Amino acid sequence: MLCFVALFVLAVLSLFSAKYRPLAARAFSCVVKKATLRPCDTGLDDEIKAASIAGIMKISPPAAAFTNRHFEAFSLLFTLLFFASIIFTLQGMANFVIYGNCNGPEGGFCIYNGLQNPNFLKAPSTLNGIMAGNNSSNITVIEFGCYTCPYTKDAEAGVHEMLDKYGSQVRFVFKPFPLAAHPNSKEAAISASCAGEEGKYWEYRARLFGNQSYYRENGEAAFKKTAAELNLTGFDKCYDARKFESQINLTQKEGQDCGIYGTPTFFVNGKPFVGQLAVNQTEAEIAKLLGN
Amino acid sequence: MDAEKIRQDFPLLSKRKVIYFDSACTTLKPKSVIEAERNYYEEVSACAGRSAHSLAKKTTELFEGSREKVAAFVNCKPDEVIWTKNATEALNLVIRTTDYSARKRIATTRLEHHSALLPAMEMRRRGIAQMGFIGTGPDGTFDEQSIANSIGRDAALVVVHHTTNTTGMRSPLEKIIKAAHDNGALVLVDGAQGVPHSKIDFRKLGADFLAFSGHKMLGPTGIGCLVGKSEALERLDTFIVGGETIETVNLDAAVFKKAPKKFEAGIQNYAGAIGLGAACEYLAKIGMHNVEEHEKKLAGKLIETIKSIPGAAIYGSQSAQNRSALVSFNLKNVKHHQVALMCDSLSGIALRSGVFCAQPAMESMGAAQGAVRASLYVYNTEKEIETFRSTLQNIAKIG
Repeated sequence: MLCFVALFVLAVLSLFSAKYRPLAARAFSCVVKKATLRPCDTGLDDEIKAASIAGIMKISPPAAAFTNRHFEAFSLLFTLLFFASIIFTLQGMANFVIYGNCNGPEGGFCIYNGLQNPNFLKAPSTLNGIMAGNNSSNITVIEFGCYTCPYTKDAEAGVHEMLDKYGSQVRFVFKPFPLAAHPNSKEAAISASCAGEEGKYWEYRARLFGNQSYYRENGEAAFKKTAAELNLTGFDKCYDARKFESQINLTQKEGQDCGIYGTPTFFVNGKPFVGQLAVNQTEAEIAKLLGN
Repeated sequence: MDAEKIRQDFPLLSKRKVIYFDSACTTLKPKSVIEAERNYYEEVSACAGRSAHSLAKKTTELFEGSREKVAAFVNCKPDEVIWTKNATEALNLVIRTTDYSARKRIATTRLEHHSALLPAMEMRRRGIAQMGFIGTGPDGTFDEQSIANSIGRDAALVVVHHTTNTTGMRSPLEKIIKAAHDNGALVLVDGAQGVPHSKIDFRKLGADFLAFSGHKMLGPTGIGCLVGKSEALERLDTFIVGGETIETVNLDAAVFKKAPKKFEAGIQNYAGAIGLGAACEYLAKIGMHNVEEHEKKLAGKLIETIKSIPGAAIYGSQSAQNRSALVSFNLKNVKHHQVALMCDSLSGIALRSGVFCAQPAMESMGAAQGAVRASLYVYNTEKEIETFRSTLQNIAKIG
């Protein structure tokens, strides 16, 4: 079965180097034979098997024995996984071309975005969102984030570090950008805003990012339980009325108009930084603007 | 004989970490052979037997000197040594130029290498000759009772191996040659696996022809020999003709030279022939009896090693007697190619796997799909066999 994988890999390598072409030809012959239910007689399957088992044997002889005995099953599984990954990759590429994000119209983190130049992003034109820092500063840092996105969570410590360091010198705006790919994302945004109405936004936000998987899995019950723990008396009413949904929809729309393709995305005076490491770049940009 | 000392003569063994157990395919080359070939190209590089200048004379001297060395190695007259490109060409030469007008049959065995079998089959396909087979058993042994009957009065030529390339076993040549000569047939011995591994005295052997390759006996590739009794060579028709094969020629007819020139058309592989002469010298210096003794010891250890592996099956004789240090085997539930490839990957052991250009032979021994072959030579040691043992033990466990 591995001849199918070998053919694909060797065919691609053959495009770049002639030395792989005889091997690709052997793989092709093997595939034709296998496809017509004849045994592969090019020896390539034996070579792949021997090399694989020998490699495993150097690490673990019992694992080599197990792999050898079930080699055809492993080959089949590996081949299916390989072609499934090829299909998903192609699907992602098609989505990227059509929608600008490999997840399609729903958006979310997309590895291909690294291929894009984030400078194509447009800076947001409003300051709508959760404000912090120095409101009168001429340096504005905007974060588009999703409360149930693991990458936004990963950047959170950096955000706090940045605010601790430069909070008195920059204006910070957090714009909720719920992603449908992450469960309970919009509800989390509504909850945080409801908590903000009672002056406990940052405490609530800390709970959301501190135990993100809990909120992703449990949704409303978790949001309300946390609110009770924080003594947010008007929370349930606010949450049930989805009071801040329209505001969140606006920041979400604004993000889409800016071309946001993944969270977190930061802007420092309009200059974009995308992804997990973006918060570090953001901090460096602030330092540069402040002349540090 | 000190194999460790001999190993120092082989540049490849000092350059690469390899356990070379594929000498039945081709052997490694000692420095003296490489030097002899290099010396020809660097110091002489002319034609033999044609031009009169000093380089040509030197080439003739080296080339014919090498013929004398080969003749001395197998104990025949220099004029009985014909250069060919390998044993295959030597076998083809005899089988294709023998006169089948009075006697139609080629007697041979199922155990022969394709290089001996296919030329005979070609003669049969063209309606020139018929074929008959001497009986052999599934263990690769001869049915000695059937030898005389199988050869018969209509046999023109008997083609048989000295030592098989599949099991390393030797054929009962004395009986076969006697039966052939009693019936008036010529005998062609395929010595490709015999000449490198045992002391062969062509005179004592009594065969009419002996074919062998240079590269299987430490010599260069592209050179081989047909040794033939003068009177037997004279009975052969021409094979490949051209420059230096004739006494005179006009547009109506040509008068051919006597052997060996009759069969050596065109410019010869001088470097190869000189290299083969150096290989014969090298082996003679070790002493073929010492080579035989060394191989016998290795064969015993090799057989004992393979037999100790659970699930291993050896083809042919399981005795170290009357054989070369060559053993073919299979492991239970691990394909032969996989065994050979894994030995290479795990321990750098070079083995051959497949049917060894002897498909009918392997089929007759119940190994139609093939086997693994370990073939050892003067530079191999018992220590290497120990590494082979531990590697095989590990591989056998995965089956």
